[in-house]
Amino acid sequence: MKLTIDPVTRIEGHLKVNVEIKNSKIVSAKCSADMYRGLEKALKGYDYLTAIQITQRTCGCCPYAQAEAAALAIEDALQIELNKNAKLLRNMVIGAYKLKDYLLHFYTLSSLDFININSILKYNGNDFKMLEFKKYVLKEISSKKVFPSPLFTQKYKNVYIKNSKFNLTLIKHYLENFEAMKKAAEMVKIFGAKAPHMTAIEAGGITTRPTADRLIKYINLAKDLKEFIYNKYFEDVLRVAKYFKEYFKIGKGVNNFLTFNTLQNLDGSYMFVAGFSKDFRFEEGVEPYEIIEYNNYAYYKENGGYKPLELDDLHPVDLEEFENSEKYTWSRAPRYKGHVVEVGPAAIVINTYLSGKNHKLNKIVNKINSELDISIKDYNSVMGRHLSRAIVSMMIIDKLIEDALNVDEGVLGFTQLKKPPSNVKGVGLTEATRGALAHFIDIGENGYIRNYEMVVPTTWNISPKDNRDIPGALESMLIGTHIKDENNPIEISRIIRSTDPCLACAVH
Amino acid sequence: MDRREFLKTTQALLATIFGSSFFSIEELDAMETSENKPDLIWIHAMSCDGCSTSFLNAEISLVDILSRFVNIVFHPTVMAAEGKLSMEILKKYEDTQNDLIIVVEGAIPSKELPHACMMGEEFIRDTIVNTARKASLAIAAGTCASFLGICDMKGMHIDAVSLKKCLEEESVDTTVVNLPACPLKPNHLLYTLFYYIKNRKTPPIDLMHRPLRFFGNTVHERCVYYNDFQEKIFAKKIGDRGCLFKLGCQGPVTKCDCIKSGNDYDKYNCIKSGHPCVGCASENFPRNILFKHYDDERKLEKYKDFKRI
Repeated sequence: MKLTIDPVTRIEGHLKVNVEIKNSKIVSAKCSADMYRGLEKALKGYDYLTAIQITQRTCGCCPYAQAEAAALAIEDALQIELNKNAKLLRNMVIGAYKLKDYLLHFYTLSSLDFININSILKYNGNDFKMLEFKKYVLKEISSKKVFPSPLFTQKYKNVYIKNSKFNLTLIKHYLENFEAMKKAAEMVKIFGAKAPHMTAIEAGGITTRPTADRLIKYINLAKDLKEFIYNKYFEDVLRVAKYFKEYFKIGKGVNNFLTFNTLQNLDGSYMFVAGFSKDFRFEEGVEPYEIIEYNNYAYYKENGGYKPLELDDLHPVDLEEFENSEKYTWSRAPRYKGHVVEVGPAAIVINTYLSGKNHKLNKIVNKINSELDISIKDYNSVMGRHLSRAIVSMMIIDKLIEDALNVDEGVLGFTQLKKPPSNVKGVGLTEATRGALAHFIDIGENGYIRNYEMVVPTTWNISPKDNRDIPGALESMLIGTHIKDENNPIEISRIIRSTDPCLACAVH
Repeated sequence: MDRREFLKTTQALLATIFGSSFFSIEELDAMETSENKPDLIWIHAMSCDGCSTSFLNAEISLVDILSRFVNIVFHPTVMAAEGKLSMEILKKYEDTQNDLIIVVEGAIPSKELPHACMMGEEFIRDTIVNTARKASLAIAAGTCASFLGICDMKGMHIDAVSLKKCLEEESVDTTVVNLPACPLKPNHLLYTLFYYIKNRKTPPIDLMHRPLRFFGNTVHERCVYYNDFQEKIFAKKIGDRGCLFKLGCQGPVTKCDCIKSGNDYDKYNCIKSGHPCVGCASENFPRNILFKHYDDERKLEKYKDFKRI
């Protein structure tokens, strides 16, 4: 049986997934990214600092990471050292944005795959929002409209949580999460100016002066958010993980994980470690020029495998070739030292755990593992990915509060660059919400960009087959999955969403 | 919080957006029980989802808007349906007579390269045109849908078009309201929606189809540093006192209400954060230089030719 899910909703951007099911098992899978703009090569001829503002506009969900990577690439090219406040404030902006993204992903995007929303009808408490919501649902059901509200068009049968009390808690938190996300967004705005697309992130630091009132506001919001993350988000994920325990065995992809550094400490070390692990053997450090992107199955006229900055233009295929070729996606197929890799929060947790460098993380992971009776290897799964996001969130919020308390009040965390540079190259590596992100910049004469390259997390995860026909990370997660009920293949949706695909980024 | 209190806060919020008490509490109350709510279909074209994310931050929460004032039928980021089922919603819509508002986020592919954006194995361009034909109001959310923004840069191969241009090309005469700013400001959309709900017509717009209420003045005219500009006090670097003009500020050529709107949502903005305006709401966004050193003598160039907006 062949099955197509198009569009995959509740993700970011346009994704199509084709699978072939034989004897209740997925035998082949194809992920197609359906949107193309061609941003990176269009940067040619623009001023080098525009890269920060323009690349972040590839994505409305993780713009902070693109801005940071572009800023890091420029700082690398120009050999600029950030001052203390610049480091702290940058962490505070990007960290808050990461948290917003994790919350958005679990509640708004993924939780509707687990919650049975009809449980709201059994609610008999006195919470205003819940009562209003119940009234609304009742009205929707009784009106017999042709177009029910999109929240209630759940498709699958008998796959959601059956315990109505549990459902009610999740629905309540689903609603509360909108408020929590607004808090995180405000934290971003305090020093980032707006969210999404923060203008204040620049090469050299953050342009906002950390005044006392801004800092106090930030810390207050961060404390509220910590409450939500520790007591609601993390607990919910843990409970969902216990309820759907079989999902620690579903959605296993390749055992190769790649991470980059992120959230710098003042002593120059990082909160999460950069490196590559294969079959749970970890090697610290990355070589960005070992990345090769293959185009055989991507809708571009250039068909080979290319190192970063090797191509200075990419040409989209015309309509005829689009319809009549083997190519099936706009996304290219990046490989690290020839390996298919998975990136993202599970990779962060696995690599950092294996490195043993962050004792706090290892302690949390060990505790959860003994509670759920799982091992670090089970993080390579649907639930493992959800759980990793929650673990990472808890650690980030603690760091943000610590950093905010360390900021020297009133001191600008910004060093302005002087003359536009000529003929320099730089690399910026960071972890975005969805995983490892690399920017490569080549600045030509007089500060104008000669070439630009972005290798984005979702490109790793939803990559098509490479030129040796080896399927990408999400495709490998899908292949081999056992489908319990072919009429209700919710496993597929859950696997796709567990990787939090962001297609606007992936193709850029 | 109870019901009365909720309506009161909503009314207060709308008053800050409209600048007057546009709705009485009774009207808000009646609106909720009305059977005559317009439907809303939200489509992502070549977008980054930033406008949707931004709209989730609206002061009136999405769930409230959804359950009270408009009937959101299709929104890829929040809807539970997926795949075929979600496309069926759009298909079914072709046969109804309901009052429809379409919101488009992102630029639209050209006729020559329609495969640059697809949804449900159809060209997004066709989906948008077919839906807009039924709609009584089309809203271009954000700079890309209005003026192409980053989807129209010098080296690009896509030749994308704006929503207005796309509908013109396909001879659809639905009125378009452009709400530029990158990302969309939630208040701009709420204003347009509520104005339409009350009056069943578009709010007053300028020649570029932007609501006059927000796009009548440039950022510069309302800027906190306007006096410094008059006195010719210019900042030489970030953190200095003075007008940011010499650092590449696009405020004088960008029409938007970033500085003026004083309500909660907009208490932060780029200029207050020390960064010159990058002109994200402007029809010329992005220019080749957005932020520069004060004695940098390179020329700021415009690339756009306005043939596709």
